[in-house]
Amino acid sequence: MHKVEFEQLDETLYHEKLSNGLEVFILPKKGFSKTFATFTTKYGSIDNHFVPRGAAEPVKVPDGIAHFLEHKMFEKEEGDIFQQFSKQGASANAYTSFTRTAYLFSATGKIDENVETLLDFVQEPYFTEATVEKEKGIIAQEITMYDDQPDWRLYFGIIENMYKNHPVKIDIAGTVESIQDITAEHLYTCYNTFYHPSNMVLFVVGAVDPEGMMKLVKENQSRKTFEEAHEIERIFPDEPVEAAIKERVLEMSVQKPKVFVGIKPEKTDLQGEEMLKHELAAELAFELLFGRTSDFYHEAYEKNWIDESYSFDYSLENGFGYAIIGSDTTEPQILAEEIKKTIAGAVEKWPFGQADLDRMRRKKIGFFLRALNSPEYIANQFTRYTFNGMNLFDVVPALERLEVADLQTAFSTVSRESQQSVFTILSPDKKEAE
Amino acid sequence: MFQTIRLAKGVNVHVNETTQFKTINISIKFKDKLSKEKASARSILANVLQHSNEIYPSHTALRMVLDDLYGTSLYMDSSKRGNEHIVSLNVETVNDQYLSESGVLEKVLNLMYLVLFKPNTENGLFKESIFLREKNAVKERIESIFDDKTRYAQQRMMDLALPEHPAAIPANGTIEEVQKISNERLMNEYRTMIETNEVEIYAVGDVKPEAIADYIQDYFHFEDREKASAAPSMELKKPAQQRVAEFEDMKQGKLHMTFFSPVTFRDEKFPVMQLLNGIFGGYAHSKLFVNIREKESMAYYVSSSYASQFGLMFVLAGIDGKLEEKAVRLILQQLEEVKAGNISDVEFEQTKALLINQLKEALDSARGQIDIYDQYMELTEAFEPDYLISRWNRVTKEDIAQAAKDLSLEMVYFLSGKESVANA
Repeated sequence: MHKVEFEQLDETLYHEKLSNGLEVFILPKKGFSKTFATFTTKYGSIDNHFVPRGAAEPVKVPDGIAHFLEHKMFEKEEGDIFQQFSKQGASANAYTSFTRTAYLFSATGKIDENVETLLDFVQEPYFTEATVEKEKGIIAQEITMYDDQPDWRLYFGIIENMYKNHPVKIDIAGTVESIQDITAEHLYTCYNTFYHPSNMVLFVVGAVDPEGMMKLVKENQSRKTFEEAHEIERIFPDEPVEAAIKERVLEMSVQKPKVFVGIKPEKTDLQGEEMLKHELAAELAFELLFGRTSDFYHEAYEKNWIDESYSFDYSLENGFGYAIIGSDTTEPQILAEEIKKTIAGAVEKWPFGQADLDRMRRKKIGFFLRALNSPEYIANQFTRYTFNGMNLFDVVPALERLEVADLQTAFSTVSRESQQSVFTILSPDKKEAE
Repeated sequence: MFQTIRLAKGVNVHVNETTQFKTINISIKFKDKLSKEKASARSILANVLQHSNEIYPSHTALRMVLDDLYGTSLYMDSSKRGNEHIVSLNVETVNDQYLSESGVLEKVLNLMYLVLFKPNTENGLFKESIFLREKNAVKERIESIFDDKTRYAQQRMMDLALPEHPAAIPANGTIEEVQKISNERLMNEYRTMIETNEVEIYAVGDVKPEAIADYIQDYFHFEDREKASAAPSMELKKPAQQRVAEFEDMKQGKLHMTFFSPVTFRDEKFPVMQLLNGIFGGYAHSKLFVNIREKESMAYYVSSSYASQFGLMFVLAGIDGKLEEKAVRLILQQLEEVKAGNISDVEFEQTKALLINQLKEALDSARGQIDIYDQYMELTEAFEPDYLISRWNRVTKEDIAQAAKDLSLEMVYFLSGKESVANA
């Protein structure tokens, strides 16, 4: 077991890669009574075209299958795994993102039992045609619930606008129609391909004894047999740098129109240290340009183009990414134009210097230290970083190394007009009035 | 957990000195009686005060100082509890032992002082442009509830079921009342809040209780004030209608139900209701989740919640627009099971285990510590988890069945799409 001390942060991380390929991380937190654990596979909604384990040819699977599989992991021949966690005083949950499926629990007691349950239920699939059919009604209601949420439609609307071919444009849960095609056999194909320990990370953080926990995990894993680890072949279509759709309007009953401007990044093939540097630099650039201390925010707020719903977000993964800026607004056209103008202005003449960088750097360091109070943040983010070859605890030193020019360089790859798109939600009546 | 120091009559500082967190959290809570008018005025006030002040007269200036202080978060919010309305100033700042800089906490306390005592005024009123802007922001925040159909349905049901009851008053007030608030009225409310409201100040982190208390005593000058005599709790009156169906442009049906319980937070049987709620619909092992979601595949979410301040229990479910009757029948059937005492040992033990877990977990965050301590202060002087755990452990299945029998269904509210009517 490796032990890495981060003195500046007053944290110690324990790590070991087991012989079956599973990466195990343990981070004890002083003074905490709870333990939070995530067991995550590097498999999300975008992994819909791949060569199944043991097969020669690639297959395409129905939209929404990673999320469907996540739901079905909880059902076993002997019953529902939520019951088991409840008996052990733990709250369990799971989520599926574009790139990951995570199973998790938090508990203040019986941590050993709960970790065993977590490992065992994710490593013992049980799918039958009957249980798969039964789940369709539940997931259909989940999809319908999201369909009624304008903010979710806005978010997915702008991503659909930006991407032409990449599966990030497909809703994580699929559609009510697409999930009808899912069978138990599909689930086994996906499971066998992506749930091998070598494609997974276990993170345990909180009131935990690292030596004892590592021993328990190892013993648990050594009791099971796994096939050899192998490189998973995932197939992604070519994706142009340009946004697929420049502008689109969705009619939906809302109190006030909503608009998002999305910008597609040019560079999505970064990993490791390079990715960390690029991601932080771009985040800081967008924060300076669109954050609450920016000239843009000040003007937009004074002129009533934005309200409390205003947000901006920057996200980068392997193969895709996006910057998104927008708000509920009575002036969606003006707001979208002003956002674009602000980007163009920064491309033409870079407005930020050392003092701006120093301020943002302090802000980010503070945010990061605050986040380290949260076991949930640590486990989820650490896993995301690991899957991208980065280390979460490198954030502060990486921030300290950034220079103004790095921000400008990173920003220049997420800024061209051709990479931009606008998505607007208008109420049907309001649209007529315009 | 917390050490309490009295600064003046009606003004207390509660400090939990701990190295558990890398940050220091401070909350100053101003408590007043709840009314639609007060809630509306105080929500605007919270917005105006956090916008800017005399020393940092623009939003940007204030936010830049906060960024410089290692991204210290500072915000004000409006909330309610029972018959009380609470305005809080919340701050979280990095413990500077992790930084190369010291003196951060003093600067942050000074900022808190400016936010509360040096507002951005002109001619004895709040700066008009800021006042108008923030008044509009609060109005729009209330309006935006419409876009979240679960919150909207719950608010509609409360308005219909308990129109004048505190349970139905939103913490942010109402659009009508917000529109009526003038700058003069707001200045009045500000003075009332600072000079006469009961004040509870919380600090959690690596700080010395005396140091925090001394600083606040020296700079903030809070004077004696009367503890607002808690308004008598209003009786729950039967709603005029029992079944209401409304329609909006939407796909899913939102089923909301209201039950009355004679048991409130202050009641001896309060822990019984917490267990009842957990077994009935509070968790993933509950009767509603297992039967309506897992067995019937009818819903993605279905749950119950207990509003202990008022003695109300709600059931919420997202279902197909055509299945309202069936869902109501199945939900009530599950309640009958509880009434009949059909509670397995497993359900009973699981629920206790999760209540305990939830409580202990909440105490692993500084905000959670403050919220729980503030809530239970009225019942016990020095809250410790065991105060609740020992009470839960004394509850029997018979108690739970009896509490279920004492519930009365008062309203079934169903919000669904216009199409589902056409298809029905």
